Order: sequence, then C-alpha cells, then structure tokens
Amino acid sequence: MKTSGKKNGKNTSGIFRVLKPYRSLIAVLVLFTMVGNGANLVIPTIIANGIDAFNAGDYTWRPFAIRFLTVSVLIFLFTYLQSIVQAYTSERVARDLRKKLSEKLSTRSYSYILKIGPSRLLTNLTSDMDSVKMFVAQAVSSIVSSLIVILGTSILLIQINWKLGLTVIGMIPLIAVSFFIVLKKVQVLFKKSREVVDWLNKVINESILGAAIIRVINSQQQEYAKFIAASKSAKDVGIAILTLFATLIPIITFVANLATLAILAQGGHYVISGTLSIGDFTAFNSYVAMLIFPIIVIGFMSNLIAQASASYQRIDLVLQAPDTLKPGSVESLLKGNIELKNIHLSYDSKPVLKDVSFKIPGGSRTAILGPTAAGKTQLLNLMTGLVAADSGTIEFEGVGLEQYRKKKFHEQIGLVFQDSIMFNMSIRENIAFSDKVTDESLQKAIDTAELNDFVQTLPAKLDTRISERGTSLSGGQKQRIMLARALAMDPKVLLLDDFTARIDRKTEYKIQCNLLNNYPDMTIISITQKISAIKDFDLIIVLMEGEVIAQGKHPDLLGSCPEYVQIYNSQKSTSHYEL
Amino acid sequence: MNYNLNEIIGDQKKMKGKGFLSAARTLVSSMVEEKRLLILAFLAMLVSAVLSLLGPVMIGYTVDHYILPGDYHGVLVFSSILLVMYLISLGTGYVQTKLMGTVGQRMLYTLRNSLFNKLQELPVDFFNQNKAGDLISRINNDTEKINQFFSQSLMQFLRSILIMLGAAVFLLTLNPELGLATLAPALGILIFTQLISPWVKRKNSLAMKTMGSLSSEVQESLNNFNVIVAFNRRDYFRDRFRLVNEENYKASLKSGLANNLLMPVYSFFSNIGQLIVLIFGIYLIAKGHFSLGLLISFLAYSSNFYNPLRQMAALYANFQVALAGWDRIRVILNMQNNMLVLNAEEKLEKTETILHFKDVSFRYPGGKEVLSGINFSLEKGKTYAFVGPTGGGKTTTASLIARLYDPVKGTIYLDGEDIRSYPHDERARRIGFILQDPFLFSGTVRENILYGNEQYQHYSAEDLRAVIRDAGLESLLERFSEGLEAKVQVNGDGISLGQKQLIAFMRAVLRKPDILILDEATANIDTVTEQLLEQVLEKLPEKTTKVIIAHRLNTIENAEKIYFVNSGEVTLAGSLRQAVEMLLHGKRDS
Repeated sequence: MKTSGKKNGKNTSGIFRVLKPYRSLIAVLVLFTMVGNGANLVIPTIIANGIDAFNAGDYTWRPFAIRFLTVSVLIFLFTYLQSIVQAYTSERVARDLRKKLSEKLSTRSYSYILKIGPSRLLTNLTSDMDSVKMFVAQAVSSIVSSLIVILGTSILLIQINWKLGLTVIGMIPLIAVSFFIVLKKVQVLFKKSREVVDWLNKVINESILGAAIIRVINSQQQEYAKFIAASKSAKDVGIAILTLFATLIPIITFVANLATLAILAQGGHYVISGTLSIGDFTAFNSYVAMLIFPIIVIGFMSNLIAQASASYQRIDLVLQAPDTLKPGSVESLLKGNIELKNIHLSYDSKPVLKDVSFKIPGGSRTAILGPTAAGKTQLLNLMTGLVAADSGTIEFEGVGLEQYRKKKFHEQIGLVFQDSIMFNMSIRENIAFSDKVTDESLQKAIDTAELNDFVQTLPAKLDTRISERGTSLSGGQKQRIMLARALAMDPKVLLLDDFTARIDRKTEYKIQCNLLNNYPDMTIISITQKISAIKDFDLIIVLMEGEVIAQGKHPDLLGSCPEYVQIYNSQKSTSHYEL
Repeated sequence: MNYNLNEIIGDQKKMKGKGFLSAARTLVSSMVEEKRLLILAFLAMLVSAVLSLLGPVMIGYTVDHYILPGDYHGVLVFSSILLVMYLISLGTGYVQTKLMGTVGQRMLYTLRNSLFNKLQELPVDFFNQNKAGDLISRINNDTEKINQFFSQSLMQFLRSILIMLGAAVFLLTLNPELGLATLAPALGILIFTQLISPWVKRKNSLAMKTMGSLSSEVQESLNNFNVIVAFNRRDYFRDRFRLVNEENYKASLKSGLANNLLMPVYSFFSNIGQLIVLIFGIYLIAKGHFSLGLLISFLAYSSNFYNPLRQMAALYANFQVALAGWDRIRVILNMQNNMLVLNAEEKLEKTETILHFKDVSFRYPGGKEVLSGINFSLEKGKTYAFVGPTGGGKTTTASLIARLYDPVKGTIYLDGEDIRSYPHDERARRIGFILQDPFLFSGTVRENILYGNEQYQHYSAEDLRAVIRDAGLESLLERFSEGLEAKVQVNGDGISLGQKQLIAFMRAVLRKPDILILDEATANIDTVTEQLLEQVLEKLPEKTTKVIIAHRLNTIENAEKIYFVNSGEVTLAGSLRQAVEMLLHGKRDS
C-alpha cells in the first residue's frame, strides 16, 4: 500500500481515510488475502518437489496428492472468505458514506443545493460512490495479494537461484516504467471522458424533461444531432484511451516473455552446467507466470486508486463544507409583523433586488405587484429564509429572521410556490407534508383549498398516489394541493406566489372567502397579477426591476403611481365582469 | 399502451432464455459493418494466440532435446527463435487490441445512438409513465456498465476464449488421454456456471433496479429542496434516502456475493486440473509413454487453459452486469411507438374549418374518461377561448390537437384530413402549442427561441433582428438584460417563470403555425406585458387560428368564440358574459 500511496502523491492519502472506521474488517480482509495467496505460492513448490522426487526415483503419488489437495482446499476456502468480507466491507463503506452525505445535505441551505446543483450531487451519490466502492472492493485486497505474491515469488526465486532470480526480477522496473508513462497520459483522458459523460447526461436529461415540447415542435432531429455530437466525442475519447492500453498490454506481455526467454537461455545454461535442477527450472517457469499478473494488477489498481481519490475528493468537498446555517434560538410565536430594511440581492452578479424596504403589520393582507422578472419571487424566498440577502435586514416581530430557530420559524410560515412541486406519494402525504399537521388542520386546509370535490372523485380518495411530476393532475389541482400543503401547518404568515394564475375565478373567489373565514388572523402576502382581487388589501407594493416604486392602498396608488395605473388599465376592460 | 418499464420487465421474463442469444445476435448484426476490421483483428488475434501457444511447446522441446542432453548451442538457437516469435506477438498484440477496441467503441456508439433515437421516437406517454430519475439512470448508468464491459473485458474475453481453445487443442493432440483428463474439471466449471448464471444475473438486475430508485429519489428530493426547507422536512429527505439506500445496500451486497463466488470455484477446479496432469503424467512417464519435457509443456498448457478461465471468472461479473444492463436497455429498444402516421383513408372536404373533433373520447392509461364523445370545429383565422374549471379537460383537449396523444375513440381532422395521417414534421409545422410548464434548454435565449426552427436557424444576427422586429418581439426581449445572448442555465435556473413563458411564446410565434394554442401560456406574465403579447398575436398571418386557454378574463376577451370545457364535455358559450356565468355558477342550460 505504501508504494502505491507514494506513487500518486498527496491526493491518495485522502481515499485511505475512508477505511479508517472499518479497520477491523480490513484487518480480517488482509489476513484472509494473505493466507489465501500465501497458500497459492506453495503449489509450484509442491509440483517441483514432486518432479524432483520422481527424477530421484522416490516418488509416491498418494502423499503428494494429499498435500496438493489440502492446499487447494485451503486456497478455495480463504479466497471465498476473502471475497465475502470484501463485498461486505465495500457495500458497507458505500452505504455509510452515502448516508453521511445525505445527512449532511439535509442540513444544508437551499441556496447551497442550488449552487452545487442537484445533478452534480446526484453524481456524487451514485457514480462517485461507485468508484469509492470499487476502491474498497478491489484495490485493497488486490494490492495486498499482489504485493504478497510479488514479494513471495521474488524471495523464492532468489532462494532457488539468485543469479537467475535477479534477472527475472529485473524485468519488474521495466513494466513499472511503461505503466507509469501510459497511466499518466490516461489520467488526462479519463478526466476528459468524465466531462464528456457530463455532457451526454445533460443532453439526455434535457431530452427527457423536455419530451413534450420536443414532440410538439418535432425537433427530435435537432436533439439527435446534439446527442450525436456528444456521443461522438465519447467514442473518440474511448478509442484514444484504448489505443494507449493497446500499446501497454503487448509491451507488458513482451517483457514477461523476455523473462521466460531468460529462464530458458540462462536457466538452461545452469541446468547444463549442473547448478540448477530440472525441477527448479520448472518451478522458475511457474513462478514467472505467477509474478507477471500481480504486477499488472498493481498497475491497474494505481489507476483505480487515482480515480477513486478524485471521486472521494468531490464527495469530501460536500462533507467538509462549513455549516452556513446558524441555528438561531428565538422560538417565540409570530404575529406577522414583518419589516424589510434596505435589502439588496444579486444573482450571478446581476442585481435582483435594490434597496427594498417595507413594513407589514401582523394580520394584514399585502399584495406584491410588478412586471415579469421584477424580483417578486426572490422577495418571497428572502422572507422565508430560503435565500440570504447580500445586505439589509429582515425582521419578524422586531427580531432578525436569522435569530429564529429554523424549525420553529418554518412551522409558522406557509409558502405556496409558483411552480407546482409534487412528490411521488399519496395526496394525503403531499398535503400533510409537515410533521406538525393534525387530522383537523388537514381537513380545514382541504376545505379551504376547495379540494373536497376533487378528492371525492379519486379512486383511493386522499390515499391516491401522485405520479412523479404530478402529470396526472391539472395545473389548477396542483396549485390547490400546494395551497393546502401550506395551510395544513396552520401558519401565522401565508405567502402566495402567483397562486391564482391557474385557478378559475369561481374557485378563486371561494378560496378567498374560505381563507377569511377559516384563518381570520393570518397575515397574507400575495404576489399576483390581478388587481381586482387585491383592491381591498391593506397594502399593495409595486415592484419594478428590483425596486419598490410605490406602496399604499389601491385608491392611493391610483392617484400617485402611473405604473400602477397602467397595470390597472390593462385589466380594466374586463372589470365589468368582476365580482 | 403500457410504457411502464418496471412493469414490462416482468413480462419479458418469458424470453429470458433467449436473452443472451438475441443480445449476441443484435450485437453481431451491428458488427457486420465492421467486417474488414474484424477479420483483420481476428487474424492478429489468431497469430498472437498461436504464437503464445507455441511458446510452451518450444520450451518443452528445448528441455528434452537440448538442455537435458546438455547442448547449449541448441538452447541459444531456440531462444533466438522464441525472441523473434515474441517480437511478432508484440506487434499482433497491438493490432488486435487496437482494432477490437475500436470496433467495440463503435458498436457502443451505435447502441447509444439507437437508444437515444428510440427515446426520441416514443410518445409523451412514455415519459409520463416513467420516472425521469429512473430513465436517466437507465441511459447513463446502464450504458456505462456495457461500456465498461466493452472497453475493459470484451477483448480479454475473446482472447481468453481463443487461447483456451488453442490450449485445449494442444493438450488433446500432445496426448489425448492425458489431455482429456486435464480438461475434465472444466466440465465441472461449465455445469457450475450454467447453474448459477441465472441467479447471478437476477441479483445484478435487482441491484441495478434499486440503484434506479435511489437515483430518482435523489433527483426528486434535491430538485424540490425549497419545499423541503420551507416545510421543515429535512428529515423527510433523510428518511426516504435512508430507505432506498438500505435497499440498495442489501441488493448490491447480494449481487457482490454472487459475482465473487465464481473466482474461488474456478481456481479450485484449475488446481484439480494441474493435479491430474501431474499424477497421471508422472504415471505415464513411469510407463514410458511420456517425457519430462512434455510434462512441463503440458503443465504450461493446462495453466494456459485454466488461467484464461480464471480471468473469465473475474470478467464474469462485468459480463453479468453488462447483460443485466443490456436487458434494461433492451426493454426500451423493444418499445413500440403507438402513434404512427396512418395512410389517409377518409378525407373531408377542404373548407374554412381548420380543425374538427368528431366524437372524440379520451382517457389517460389507467385513468377515467377525461373527454367523452366531444364534437367541435375551429375555423381558419379565428380566435377561440377554452375556459372551464381546473381539471375540466382543457389541457387534454389541447394536447390532442397537438397530437401528443391519440384519442381513444373518434377522429380529429386537421384541414380535412385525419390528423394521424400527417407526417410528424408537417403536423408540427402547422400546429404550435405553448405548454403550461415551459421548458428551456441550456444555452442562450437565442438558441431557445430558435429551437427547432429550421427557417431562421442560420440567419445572421442582423437578419434575425429584422425578423424579430417584424414579429413585434423586440420589446419582449427587453425583459432579458442581455437580450438574445442572455444565458439560460440547466433547468432554466435563475430565470423567472414569467420569463420562461415569454421565451416559450416567442419560440412558438416565430414558427408561424396555422393553429397556435396557448395553454395558460401567459398565466405568470404581468398584464402590461401581456398586452404586448396580444399585439404580437395580431401580427400573425390572417389565417392563423388561435386557441387560448386562460383563467384571466382579459386574456380571453378578444376571443371570437368561447368553448366551455367541463366534466368531459365541450360546449359553446354564447358570449364572454355567458362563459363567466358558467364558470361562476357551474354549468347552466342557456
């Protein structure tokens, strides 16, 4: 292990850390490997003794066969035991590391997950784990057994005939050097092949997630062209890697053959001159065959270790990332008095919110209005602590948001997202998503979101399972389930992100009444496009290009804010149908 | 049609026996194109194998004829011959590995491409019935498993088989009796492998399946992390993950144990083979039927025979994993698209009617009827609105117009002909559909609005600007700080829903379809910008039929006709006021 550790420099030391908690398992593994391989080394000696005994004329087959069989059975037992321990250890390591990583992820902030990207984390949890697993499953025992065989064979060779032994062992550095040169080049290609795989994955993912629009536009050819480009690079990199190995393997075989040749020429000379017995000559041939394979194995394993190290580093990066979430200690109940002071936020170094300040009194209803891409959704994300502002403060009841204990805080805030987000679970589980939900609060939420009739039409009622992307539900049904999910926690503050966009007017009206009746004290903050629905709200905030350009009640804004009037006019023509 | 991959895999068990053969046949048929290369590679492989097999004979011969009698000159002569042989096999070794590897990579390339192609052929239904995470895992991980087999093991596999065959021939010709005895343990290996193979494969495909659910679990949870944080359910992710992780652990452990079983068994049999050679061989020498040199050659050949077997045992796991992966991929490759282009049978007269629904009924697979026997027509150049309560069937109706699904009963006529008789490209050109959930491809805004648009694909920046100006889309582009060149990230992260809808809108409008369907396509766009969109729509050619699905009344106020869609029926509402009445007070007889 030491030699290969040195070979790959400092980055290898990391991967061996993985093994630390499994020291006893590894010890057992190494022990079994040593016994199994040690026994393997005895076989040629038995053969040589047998032949020499036969030459000397005192050969009896029975003890010879018994010895041979005993050793064979031992080898079988120990290699099988070794393989069991090996599979068990590697799967344990992968499971535990995955668990550790998922637990770490579960404590991270939303912006952290966004920054790293779900697909990258998916790679961490799947293919990176696979290569760590491979390391544990193959590298550890292979290297141990290879070293034992190389060392053992070398000693035996030198013992039998040191001059011939040295000639044969002299071939090892030749193989090592060619390995070193080729693998160095392969490393670069491997890195490239990972990038190509990422590229392939991206094309595949988009073609799956965008399946509907691709079929509407009939752009399969275009997708195929994108894919072919990535696929072709994958092929080219594959062939480049292969060419390197195509050079390496014949060279190794050739060097091994040279060793055989040396035994024939040099060893033959010794046999003729009488310094080597014909049995030993045979043994030499067997040992050379045994010697070559482990050298190749070590070469390949050093490559596997390098790959596993790179994977482990990626995993470790996530595991070691410092905790950004400050726990917070304030647990007091919210009334809904919210104040934002001089909030600045940027995304990808583009400003999203500029100097936003406003104050919302508890129990009131506030609307946020503004054009597309004004930063409205980000404002809600800020107020729920999903993202953190670059500067400025957000206070609930005069206490900074970050000082609240997260669990207590989120229990009191209901957020209805703009995108419909459904989980592949029953409707009941989708709505009662928080652990705080009781049967009563669940029923009240379902009543308020006007879901009763819909649920009644389902085969298994509330226990009907929703398919992954909620494809079996209409847009409006999904939105109402999302509302019920937020309401089921009995929140003090309800944040709605363009909730009414996909709900028909009748249902929307009913839901509004239900909200007033069933949750009279709730503070409501609603992003919306429809002025008619918010005319009687206590506060309307007009947001444009990240700035608050006006705030006040409907009549005030009509008098003071031309942009508001413009929005109002754009909807006015249908106002005679309003409720 | 059942497109659920995880259910179908059960049905295919019946043809499991043929699995390998048909797999091999498919692979071989794709290899035919590479005939010349393959023949060359095979020749190189043959030379290598013969040379490496001749080695032990030469050594045995040298021992018997030169070393034992003490003729060192002969030893040197034979050593030189061996050296030449080794040099030749150095060359053929390179040629063989390089060529075979190239063929392997090309075959994989073909496989990957045909898989992707198949995926593109399949209808939307397929994607609804399978989890994205599972599909991604199938295409990425499973082809990777096959790739590993191809790039690492296939070569060794073939070489091993060749060397084994050669060694067997040598063993049998050198001494048939001893040869047969030496090969006997191999029969045990063969039987043993036959017996446990199905079991090993089963364990491997189970492990892959659990990997698929693990990856879709991660996909679902991490993509919806905002809900998990906002609803304080970090434990939910943890618990669900723990569950799939545990399942994967158990399945992988079992497959690992199954895969590892072969190696020790093979080694044992191979040792028995050697034992037989020795005891039987020495017995033969004692009787004077055999020589010591030949015994040494024999020992070498028996390890030439058994070592590749052991190597194959090591590769066997790879092979089984690749086979299991191949099975999972094959299910996709065997899927049939049930939405083919039909031959036009009956034709209606060409009239002003662009689209006609005749007794159309529809249900989603396994669901209840969404539309029952609906009839309606759309005329050229008119604007229609579809209103109705959520879940009433509006999106379904729109999806049928775009032929994302085919009706269960009845026929849809596009310009007088069965919509199913139109080639896909023509239908797509004539029908524009802006989906409720806009999807953006990573790249730029320009790439996204020109997506699938052959006409403008190669326009210069200037020409494109002119097109955009003519279509009245300029002011919409102002919503993006960098205009056409604004970056779109994977999943459209960092772009608001309203902006995504704007891009989807521009994408559809630039294609100038005969029928343009807007399915709540502007729901999250502010009403001021929406007025701009209306101006854009007005600039479309006169013949364009517009179908608007919306809840906002101002979005539909310009509609000439309004259809009310509810509980499986589509009825014509007389006026906007009447439609509003229907919406507010349920369906009424007018």
